[in-house]
Amino acid sequence: MMWLTWRQHRKQALFTAIGLAALAAFVIPTGLAMRHTYTDLGLPDCARDASEFSEACNQAFNQFNDRYNTLLLAGILFLVLPLMVGLFWGAPLVTREVEQGTHRFVWTQGVSRKRWALVKFASVGAVTLAAAVAYGLGVSWWQEPLTNPNGNSRFGFLFFDMQGVVPVGYTLFAVALGVFAGTVWPRMLPAMAATLAGFAGLRIGLTVLARPRYMPAREVSDPLVGAGGQPYENAGGWVLAHGIRNASGEMVASGVQVRCPEGVTGPDGRQCGAEFGPGAYNWMLYHPADRFWPFQYIEAGIFTALAVLLLVLAIWRVRRIA
Amino acid sequence: MEIVLETDRLGKRYGRNWALRDCSLRLPAGRVAALVGPNGAGKSTLLHMAVGLLRPDSGSVRVFDQPPYGHPAILEDIGFVAQDTPLYRDFTAEDLITLGGKLNRRWDASVARARLAQLGIPPRKPVGKLSGGQRAQVALALALAKRPRLLLLDEPVASLDPLARREFMQSLMGSVAESGTTVLLSSHILGDLERVCDYLIVLHSAEVKLVGPVEDLVDGHRRLVGPRHDGGPIAGVESIVKASHTDRQSTLLVRAGQPVDDRLWTVHEVTLEDIILAYLAEGSANASYDTWGVPA
Repeated sequence: MMWLTWRQHRKQALFTAIGLAALAAFVIPTGLAMRHTYTDLGLPDCARDASEFSEACNQAFNQFNDRYNTLLLAGILFLVLPLMVGLFWGAPLVTREVEQGTHRFVWTQGVSRKRWALVKFASVGAVTLAAAVAYGLGVSWWQEPLTNPNGNSRFGFLFFDMQGVVPVGYTLFAVALGVFAGTVWPRMLPAMAATLAGFAGLRIGLTVLARPRYMPAREVSDPLVGAGGQPYENAGGWVLAHGIRNASGEMVASGVQVRCPEGVTGPDGRQCGAEFGPGAYNWMLYHPADRFWPFQYIEAGIFTALAVLLLVLAIWRVRRIA
Repeated sequence: MEIVLETDRLGKRYGRNWALRDCSLRLPAGRVAALVGPNGAGKSTLLHMAVGLLRPDSGSVRVFDQPPYGHPAILEDIGFVAQDTPLYRDFTAEDLITLGGKLNRRWDASVARARLAQLGIPPRKPVGKLSGGQRAQVALALALAKRPRLLLLDEPVASLDPLARREFMQSLMGSVAESGTTVLLSSHILGDLERVCDYLIVLHSAEVKLVGPVEDLVDGHRRLVGPRHDGGPIAGVESIVKASHTDRQSTLLVRAGQPVDDRLWTVHEVTLEDIILAYLAEGSANASYDTWGVPA
């Protein structure tokens, strides 16, 4: 069986290796260049101690971000990579056999269908896992300088999704979904379309609806006037909502935070911030930065569990195909 | 007499349509059996259930006294060539022989090599680039290398030209004659069967119309020509399979258990092909007038 699996998929394996090499050819030089600039601008010191966040640091960060933020377009590519693996590794695995009728050849040799499915799924799963881990580590390393206190939070939508362990979960899920879709639809095109729709649907659905609720979000309130409580507590965190609420807790201006130094007055001569009414305060709903890894594990766990479930269903389905 | 394949009221349904229904038959060991019927009669369904690809929806099928579905151990004893002889098109014949060795516990690679060498099939060319006849030969060689006790072939010659068809049948017969393998092959091409088969199963519209050894069937059927027949009994005739009439004359194909001794009728012997055609014509459906919405 291993021999068959290798003989059948060696071309695909080669293309995957070439793809990973091409990715490395992009990630390694740009990653090194970013790190150089990052060090040259003296940003490591700035990032280390947020309380000494000076104007110079601010400028340096802006300079850095201006220069490299266009690279984030590549991040979109990294987001669809797991889907590609699902489409080109997962979906054809069973479908191509059925489409060409070769399942009737291979399932009537001396090896049971269950064993065929187990060996195939396990080897493709192992290769996928290895590729996904390599890719996940590489991209995590690559985008590290881009998520800095002054730029993008690593908890942000694009960034959370392309680093750490979640890409591994996504990739396993995409492949398992492709395999399962292939056992349901005997033609390649519908199977690929179903994989695409299922993957995009679940990814977007979970990101928008479920991810903010993995843990209860924290609330923080600050007075409008004064130095403010914890200015950087949410650095690197994930702000779900913020705004200004009045004394009775009603939102009076959403999406805004105001911080007025004591004694500063507006054009109308009133104390800055008084227009929001007496007792108004800054309000913020957020997940603190240290929840990054728990969230990563929760999300990767959900997708890996779904992948396992789909593969079990696929093995069950394979027994029904003739 | 050892029974290799036995079905009892076997049925398979796709949605609301029965692909095969109430199929009961027994195939004795050592026979070369033809499974005949028009396209869509249920031939492939029957073979797929015999090789365990499909699970029966009703009744039972037993091969070597075991139900094949879910019993992959039986596969060792069955050689199966599916319709259109599917093979991995980017594999060479050599690769496929290696593959067979990896997937089967009993595997005689020399059988396959000798056959393919004799037929002049290139070992290192992807089988997708071979002609249809050559590919069918590769598929047959792989099935024979398992040294099967039962060989199931689904329309093995359907896509071949007459010359390749004859060669295929000859080489098939050559190899099973030596080993005593039981063969069940489906076909809708009648001419090939008469020469090689000694057992016949006729399927039509998902039902078994006729089963038996070829010689008994040929002996048991006669064509009668005589005056226009009104449907009354004729001495020695069990049943009328097919009747065609002109104004004054009737031609009947009948099943006759004993010699027909009636001076009104001229009795002719029949060929296997006559019998098959008679049974298939009997079942032709004209129910589709309704579905097309045209008068019959």
